[in-house]
Amino acid sequence: MRPGLRFAAAAALTALPALAQEPRALDLFVRPDKGHCIACHQLPQGVGPTTRADVGPRLEGARMRELGRDALKEIIDDPTRRNPDTVMPPFGRHRILEAREIDALGAFLHALP
Amino acid sequence: MRFRDAAAAVAAALAMSGASVYAAANQVKAEILARLQQAAPGVAPADYALGSAAFDAELRAALQEKAGESAAVIEAGKKVWTRKFRNGRTLAACFPNGGRRIAATYPQYDSRLKRVVTLEMAVNQCLKANGEPLFEMAEPQTMGAAIAYLRSLSDAQKAAVRVSAAAEERFEEGRRLYFTRMGQRNFACASCHVQSPGRRYTEQVLSPAIGQATHWPIIRGGRAITLQARIRECLEIMGAAPFPAGSEELNNIEYFLAYLSNGLPLRANVVRPER
Repeated sequence: MRPGLRFAAAAALTALPALAQEPRALDLFVRPDKGHCIACHQLPQGVGPTTRADVGPRLEGARMRELGRDALKEIIDDPTRRNPDTVMPPFGRHRILEAREIDALGAFLHALP
Repeated sequence: MRFRDAAAAVAAALAMSGASVYAAANQVKAEILARLQQAAPGVAPADYALGSAAFDAELRAALQEKAGESAAVIEAGKKVWTRKFRNGRTLAACFPNGGRRIAATYPQYDSRLKRVVTLEMAVNQCLKANGEPLFEMAEPQTMGAAIAYLRSLSDAQKAAVRVSAAAEERFEEGRRLYFTRMGQRNFACASCHVQSPGRRYTEQVLSPAIGQATHWPIIRGGRAITLQARIRECLEIMGAAPFPAGSEELNNIEYFLAYLSNGLPLRANVVRPER
């Protein structure tokens, strides 16, 4: 991770105590060797690094809660089950993320503002 | 002519351009063009030659400002191109007209070798024929620089790559690879460059598949990066083991991409930001 991103991630977690309960989640979200979700998705302002990435939709808390934790985890595990044409990687199926990391990311997304 | 009419006319010309006798290639191109237009309707097909800059005025302006940075690489390439071999000949002597106005027809299918020949391969064929050591296929200082100069001699020529019936399999293999999901991230080249042109992956604007072969090599950090070297970088991002530069796989992908760019003007050595 670039130093700027690492600093922004740390600062965001300090600013949002609720999200700091799972400190690894934002790390998983931004690290190129992990989810690297930040490459395609934008987070709500103040949660993490500000980017212009838009290959995937902007992640808003209301939409995440509408989907629900289980669906979020299922999508992270293998989004092609719901949409065979999606460009999103199958993080679980391709073993990019472990089950506990998918749990952490699912909880992180579910708690977004 | 209204923009939509003009865009449709250019689109039709792009789809039909090139001297193909392989009708399916035109069909493939027309389908990709339709998908690009659907994904990014605001961009005229003629602008696809700009690559990612077609979608980003800010990037276009920044690149314009830095255009002069390519001069040193082209000059270095000219030295490689005109350097005398031990037998007194040069790379320039291997090509018609010293290499002027030839890049638009590359890659070519060689029916004797039964394979696609890229400009880089043609350069190495020349070195081999003259008993000279070959260049590494994607090495910036030698092959990259030589290709930077050689392609600069075809600037503004319109891409005109031919897919003959005999070359059909190579084109189709390039198309298949381009659309095949690969690596740990499960991306296909088409995931970004057909499904998501103009969108940003990290901070990078994704270029459209059509036009992708027009502006190589790019100059980044004072180095010439060939199309195949850039595809290898993409494959690494995809979590796939990159095919070697000069491999059948990358040659066929380049052949496919070059055909898609038929009718668009070549503009080698565009400067891209350092990473």
